[in-house]
Amino acid sequence: MLRFLQISNDTLFVYYLLSNVIYFGLLIIAIFKNVIHRHRLASQRLELLKASPFTPPITLIVPAHNEEKSIVDSVQALLRLDYPSLEVVVVNDGSRDLTLQKLQEAYQLQTARLLYIADIATAPLRTIYRSPVEPRLLVLDKEAAGCKADAINAGLNAATSPYVCVVDADSILEKESLLRIVEGVFSDPSQVVAVGGIVRVLNGSRVVHGELQEVRLPKSAMEVLQVIEYLRAFLVGREAWAGFNMLPIISGAFGVFQRDLVKQIGGFRTHAVGEDLDLIIRLHRHLQEKDRPYHINFIADPTCWTEVPTDLKSLARQRARWHKGLIDALWPNRDMLFRARYGRVGWAVLPYMWIFEFFAPVIELVGYFTIGAALMLNVLSKSFFLQFLLFGYAFATLISIGSVLLEEMTYRRYNRRRDVARLLTYCLFEHFPYRQLTMLWRLQGIWQYLRGDLEWHEVKRVGISASSLD
Amino acid sequence: MGFASSAIEKLGPAGLVLKAILGSLLGIFLLIGFIILRRWYRARYFRRRSERTFALRTQWDDIVSGKIPLRNWRLDPLDCEIVESILLDGIETATPQQLPELLDCLRQSGLIDLRICEARMEHGWKQRTALLALGRTRAVEAIPALAEALDSPSRETRIAAIRGLGRTARREAAIPILDCVVAGQLDVPEHALKNALVNCCRSCPEILLSYLEQSRGPVRELLARVMGELASADLGEELLVLAADPLPEVRASAARALGGTNTSYTLPALHTLTNDQEWFVRLRAVVALGQVEHLGKIRILLRSLCDTNRHVRQRAAWVLAQMEPHLQQILEDVVASKDDYALQTFISELERSGAIDKVVSKLEVGSGHESVQAALLEVVEAARRQVEMTGKATAAAAGTP
Repeated sequence: MLRFLQISNDTLFVYYLLSNVIYFGLLIIAIFKNVIHRHRLASQRLELLKASPFTPPITLIVPAHNEEKSIVDSVQALLRLDYPSLEVVVVNDGSRDLTLQKLQEAYQLQTARLLYIADIATAPLRTIYRSPVEPRLLVLDKEAAGCKADAINAGLNAATSPYVCVVDADSILEKESLLRIVEGVFSDPSQVVAVGGIVRVLNGSRVVHGELQEVRLPKSAMEVLQVIEYLRAFLVGREAWAGFNMLPIISGAFGVFQRDLVKQIGGFRTHAVGEDLDLIIRLHRHLQEKDRPYHINFIADPTCWTEVPTDLKSLARQRARWHKGLIDALWPNRDMLFRARYGRVGWAVLPYMWIFEFFAPVIELVGYFTIGAALMLNVLSKSFFLQFLLFGYAFATLISIGSVLLEEMTYRRYNRRRDVARLLTYCLFEHFPYRQLTMLWRLQGIWQYLRGDLEWHEVKRVGISASSLD
Repeated sequence: MGFASSAIEKLGPAGLVLKAILGSLLGIFLLIGFIILRRWYRARYFRRRSERTFALRTQWDDIVSGKIPLRNWRLDPLDCEIVESILLDGIETATPQQLPELLDCLRQSGLIDLRICEARMEHGWKQRTALLALGRTRAVEAIPALAEALDSPSRETRIAAIRGLGRTARREAAIPILDCVVAGQLDVPEHALKNALVNCCRSCPEILLSYLEQSRGPVRELLARVMGELASADLGEELLVLAADPLPEVRASAARALGGTNTSYTLPALHTLTNDQEWFVRLRAVVALGQVEHLGKIRILLRSLCDTNRHVRQRAAWVLAQMEPHLQQILEDVVASKDDYALQTFISELERSGAIDKVVSKLEVGSGHESVQAALLEVVEAARRQVEMTGKATAAAAGTP
């Protein structure tokens, strides 16, 4: 027993240390990448890109399920995006609320019997609508399949552009974000098959008619902690992984993909819990198997603002779902692990996700028990334990502050001194007690997955039009 | 200090952890300190810059005309930076009458020479910034320095040089780019290269022709693509040669180019291209037909409406659906073709453009033969139902998820 506790504790310490050291490494890489990208932006003129005859048309696919609160503002904002050739396909995924009616009223939708070839299987389509006042808008009304992926696939079937951009109906894209993200495609159009942009927290900011007017930090602690999490995940994690062409996920809230390639792999996997993660892993698999040179890119300046949960229950549901999505994407692709044909994806990023993402809450929980037992049985010196705990906390906080620094050095969306001071202060609380809470929610996700509960539990939202400073 | 480290030593293995804690805490304080200092410095810099910009703006006309001696602002780095940025912004929006004065100011103050020197002597971001600034000057003397940077071993520098050359939008800048491209010595993103060439060759697309003759493979395709965006009727039969090129990408670009030339040979050439063996060449030809102002295109498009490729059919239908005064005649012709796919595609595009209601109401109250119109109306309604069914049928055939 004592020997077991000793081995267990040693393993845990190594695991914890390794996890932080890897993240620290990612932070350093991300700082370099971001700084280079910032310099590159100085030479980029978006008006030239906009005027260029080579800028490809894009179809925005907006899956909407019970989005009556925000759908009109969202679509209005999307249609106002600065992009030369744009088509917006809203897919009403069997909403039970007034989503479709609101769109009908706002855009005077009319039934249009358009040819719709279902290259990818979806739940039955009820009606296609076009708007006489906004020719760029197409609305598909389909029966609910209980998953976002199905709605996106319907949008893919209807899309007429070579590139599609999937955007959440409750999110807001910055006006130039499409031009900025397309620049990522142009770094090498023959190889770049998908590009992800950054997703930031909208809560607390002022939104007028679906347009972001002023960026501010949310008031509640839980939302600010999510801001820090998002900054770390996007500015550090994704930026660094993408640098080595190992990006494991492009957020479902904002990403651009080659339409035909996504169709080739059968579109988004229906009933996948985390359809965004699943798609990117399948893209890696498909392209590696075909031995085709490719790049899945991430760019940190095209920004999508999204609402995050404001109450603990919704946050718990969201995190449990994310973790279910992680298992759901990793498990079917487990054969990619440590296989030479899948290159660095199989050797680095997937093992990282299994060990440091999927197993993290389990290992953490086991750790609390074994360390507690070891302390009681005097297998572990109390002072060493306290010191290690303090080190772990300080090091993890250092990384969180590093991501705030990265934000400061690069995109500086939070301009008020007070906001930065609050961000820095909350970095001190991210690893205690917020981290422990997320651990519990993630464990809940594993439990739900093992029980076969793959439901998309609804998350309470305020609606983007209601986001304001007050 | 010695006491602290000996105390840590005494702690044994835990000492290492303690060091790590101290290191992490130090890191945290350093990061926070850096953020605070950086914020303070930037706020101070922008405040000062704003004040100086205001001061310089109030004397702007005198600065540009040279009434204010150069030494008053040229030797102060911040003033110099502000004046340069105002001048460069001004050049971008200047009328041909304003341009010489702004350029003179840049020349006489030595700012162009300074940038040329930086572009040649410096490395890294400083060099790249200089290259971009030189491009924005649109000055002809900037071109040699920009061209030299195309040979840089750094890809980022080459990109800056190509963007700079593109910004000049001068014919002289196109030549070094084209020389490098044809020699296969230029490794920059294709998009940046194409945009630079489009900007530089806009007033003289014929310059591309001689390079097109020399080039093969992907370079030829790229140059043809640029040509496709710039071609005018002046290029004459050269475009016909490209339309018969063995490379399909070149033929597709020729189709695009032909779309912008309303000449006697445009229609026959595009007609030939709509029969090309590659679907994307046919597609490009159909798109180009959309730009042609000649009713003869209707016959060609009607044939493309029966193409084997879905995209070609759809685009042909889209072009036809835009031809408002002739829609009824076109519809009759499509019905007469007895091609269900063609009819469905056309009806679908009429629905998309919103013209279907007009066509239907014209048929309902039309002036033609009543029975013919009724029959046509029936066919249209049947086709509309069929279009709707096709979507459901393909969804069913694909299988429910």
